Amino acid sequence: MKKIRSLLVGLMIATTTLVSPLPACAADVLNQIGAQIEQFQVIRAEFVQTKQMAALKRPLVTSGHLTFSRQHGVLWQIEKPYRVSYVLGETKIVEIGGSGGDSVRRVRETRDVPGLAQVGRVFRAMLGANSDTLREYFDVAAQGTPAQWSIALTPRQSQLARFLSGMQLTGGRFVEEIRISEAGGDDTRIRLSNSQGAAALNDAEATLFGTENDGSGR
Amino acid sequence: MNGMRLRALLWLTLAVVLAIAAAVQFAGPLPLQSNLLALLPPTERNPVAEHAVSRLAEAAGDRAIFLIGRPKADTLELGKAARDFGAQLRASEVFRSVVDEIPPFDPQQLARFYFPYRFNLLGDGDRAASSDLVERLQRKLYTPFQFGPGYPLADDPFGFGDAWLAGLPLKTLRLETQDGLLVARSGENVWAMVSAVLPGSAYDGSIQTRVAAAVAGAEARLKQDFPGLEVLRTGTVFYAGAARQSAEREVDFIGAGSLLGMLLLLYLVFRSLRPLALGLLSVGFGVAAAATVTVAVHGELHLITLVFGASLIGEAIDYAVQYLAAHLGAGKGWEPMAGLRRIAPGLLTALATSLLSYAALMLAPFPALSQIALFALVGLSAACASVFLLLPWLLKAPGKRDPEAAVALPRRFLVGWKKHVGRRACLTAAAALLALSAPGWSRLASNDDVRILISRPLALVAQEEKIRELTGFGNSSQFFLVEGKTPEEVLRNEERLLEKLAPLAGDDDKSVLSGYLGVSMFVPSANRQAHNRQRWERSVFADERRLRELLSDASLRDELAERMIEDFANSKSHVLSVDDWFQSPLSTPFRHLWLGKVPGNGAGHFAAIVQPQGIRDVGRLAVLSGALDGVTFVDKAGSVSRLFQEYRQWGIVWLLGALLLIYGVLCLRYGPAQSVFMLLPTALALAVVLGAFGYMATPLTLFNLMGFMLVVGVGVNYAIFLREGGVNAAATLAGVLLSAGTTLLSFGLLAFSSMPALSSFGLTLLLGICVAVLLAPMVLSFMPEASR
Repeated sequence: MKKIRSLLVGLMIATTTLVSPLPACAADVLNQIGAQIEQFQVIRAEFVQTKQMAALKRPLVTSGHLTFSRQHGVLWQIEKPYRVSYVLGETKIVEIGGSGGDSVRRVRETRDVPGLAQVGRVFRAMLGANSDTLREYFDVAAQGTPAQWSIALTPRQSQLARFLSGMQLTGGRFVEEIRISEAGGDDTRIRLSNSQGAAALNDAEATLFGTENDGSGR
Repeated sequence: MNGMRLRALLWLTLAVVLAIAAAVQFAGPLPLQSNLLALLPPTERNPVAEHAVSRLAEAAGDRAIFLIGRPKADTLELGKAARDFGAQLRASEVFRSVVDEIPPFDPQQLARFYFPYRFNLLGDGDRAASSDLVERLQRKLYTPFQFGPGYPLADDPFGFGDAWLAGLPLKTLRLETQDGLLVARSGENVWAMVSAVLPGSAYDGSIQTRVAAAVAGAEARLKQDFPGLEVLRTGTVFYAGAARQSAEREVDFIGAGSLLGMLLLLYLVFRSLRPLALGLLSVGFGVAAAATVTVAVHGELHLITLVFGASLIGEAIDYAVQYLAAHLGAGKGWEPMAGLRRIAPGLLTALATSLLSYAALMLAPFPALSQIALFALVGLSAACASVFLLLPWLLKAPGKRDPEAAVALPRRFLVGWKKHVGRRACLTAAAALLALSAPGWSRLASNDDVRILISRPLALVAQEEKIRELTGFGNSSQFFLVEGKTPEEVLRNEERLLEKLAPLAGDDDKSVLSGYLGVSMFVPSANRQAHNRQRWERSVFADERRLRELLSDASLRDELAERMIEDFANSKSHVLSVDDWFQSPLSTPFRHLWLGKVPGNGAGHFAAIVQPQGIRDVGRLAVLSGALDGVTFVDKAGSVSRLFQEYRQWGIVWLLGALLLIYGVLCLRYGPAQSVFMLLPTALALAVVLGAFGYMATPLTLFNLMGFMLVVGVGVNYAIFLREGGVNAAATLAGVLLSAGTTLLSFGLLAFSSMPALSSFGLTLLLGICVAVLLAPMVLSFMPEASR
């Protein structure tokens, strides 16, 4: 199921903060993320997402910008083939049509949706590199060094395994590729490039996160 | 002598009959009812509403819910603890079933269930307005995340199905599944839920005991194996068990306290064990008769009656006390039948006034009051009958004590009173008391909250509140009842109601309620399904060529459009029904919402309930339901409070009526003018106590009024006894003081009851009787000179 992808975003965010130059034993990679996690308040990257779906004649390609704020959440801005932004906050998810936040289209509270709280928790666990919580949901296998690594996540619970056969992340200093294999055969790859750390959100981003709090247009 | 024997024989016969009847009746377990609401009359005008209330109460009442957890609990450890706890409960073999593990909830199961009916379903937003298909398709394609249950692109390219699923009220419970457990979370705290179904009624005493033992055992084991884990619990069975325990404790405490105190008082006055035995005999006969007759009439004894009955001892003994006082006062010149004849008018007048004030209670269409009244009527009559039938035979010998010495103190008091306290002094005192009390009256407030009847142990209430907060379980005493001749009509009526509720719901403080739950949210009426299908037809399938183009342009495979068109055509006869929904295990948490076929209101009648959540303005909901056909807002707690208020207001009228009746009885013996003075001490007692409640800021409840009725009945007795004392005035005063002492001991102890109803009843009596007995000697000052 696609909600798994939000787990993935969390994981991706967590691993984007991997900046440790220290060589490490593979099993400690997750723990090292924990040690490095406070590095940046904000991380920005460009993404190209390729979805391979049974229902589609050809792969669906989307591209845009991603902003992660440890304080506010995730901003997922699709620029091609059309513009739409998603603000993924702790308690709400806002979908904004167009580019400048001129029309708030849909607000959903995470607590309204079964399972979403779990996703959020895994998300936070990843941000805190809380490997205990991660291991509640996944078998985690990490290999490589902090400079060049890959992590494989296999769902532990059959409930999750019904939708998701596995996730794979590869990266170096930041995450470079995420691959999600759904149980139904659909496959998604997200390539990230030009990742950069920053100390704070810029005004435009702050405005978008700000709209999250208005909660209009339900 | 012969007459005395005959009387005693008659009493013995009655006692044997009573003993047999009691033996038959109490052979099994004592039919003690601990459900306090069972004391109330039906509060709803609509019988179906009453049925719904009890169905809901049963559904909630036959289970116990436990949450196990602690701050930052390790979920694996928690899972083991919850399963162990469940296994312990199961091993106790007390519960019908114990649920600690639940099958994994598969959100896709919902999607699959609705799939065959998808062309009949639309979310609220999609029903209200049409939207651009191109945009919907894009959103479905490009959304980076899809939350909650949903359909694959091929099955629902425009997201109409996703929107329907998203609109289902699944969020009402804050529980989630994890590793097969139901867990609730708040911050970093994790709680695992275990629930158990009782083998029978939560009000059954033996079930309460067994459940308490099983839970205590499992809890002790858990604390031992997993130190630091906390167990929260809630369930009617715990409240009812606690209520029964405290009632039993109180019966012991109040019954034993009043009995011991009375025996001590009796001994102090009479200095002999014989009067003790005689007093006990008459009271025992009275209480036994009362319990037997009450159970015979009502089929059960309510614990509130039992606690009240324990205190009735104090009043029942008054008749024996008067007889014993007469014996004491007569000294060596005692002649049993002559003595009885002399006190008979006083005893009978006193009995008549007491019976009248209780009979007034019996008129109330209120099972609690009429049961208490019956208990009192039978108990007092039987106790009084014992005095007339049995005591003369058992107390034949004249007393050996010198009456002068025995009652020296009361005599000195009487002499002093007659010398110093005249009519004028009494009237001045009365005026002064009234003047002092009057400011208090204006401060009187009232309280009709249902909680004055039901007191719940704070620890249990705190646990329940925590469980409510963690799990999101709602309360079940306020809901909408939706009725109709057919299930379809019920659903349509419900949809009309939900349309009105929707704009009122929200999370801000201005909203009337935070949400609501009803079956039609899962199963639209056939009528609405047909409308939805028409909308599908118009917006998606009207132009099949355009549909094909649309999907093809978005690079969906061509066969998908064909399949969709074909599925739509084939699904024409698919209509989702309530029965279909209930076949699915997904409906389990919502089954209580559908009452189905209900009795009453003629044949073929169906009903469902809509549960509002987070109500902030009950009044608005009640108003709303008034304007809709087939919809009734049921507020059990509110109805009970209104009932209390009604009876409290009527109670004032009854009280005045009882005073008038008693005045009538008094007039027969004392004439109109003297009767006013006979009532004066009692009336002043009422005035003073009302004033005191005003000053103490104790709100008046229905149960205070019940107390006032007894004050009237008992207070007048003292006046009668004193007035009838005649030559034995001193002994009579001793008797009256003794009576007051015993009554205060018994009823007064009720003031310490944990049941708010009984304690306010007790407090009223404590104050009222004190004042009434202190002022009772006034009647001596007003007696005509001739009879002094």
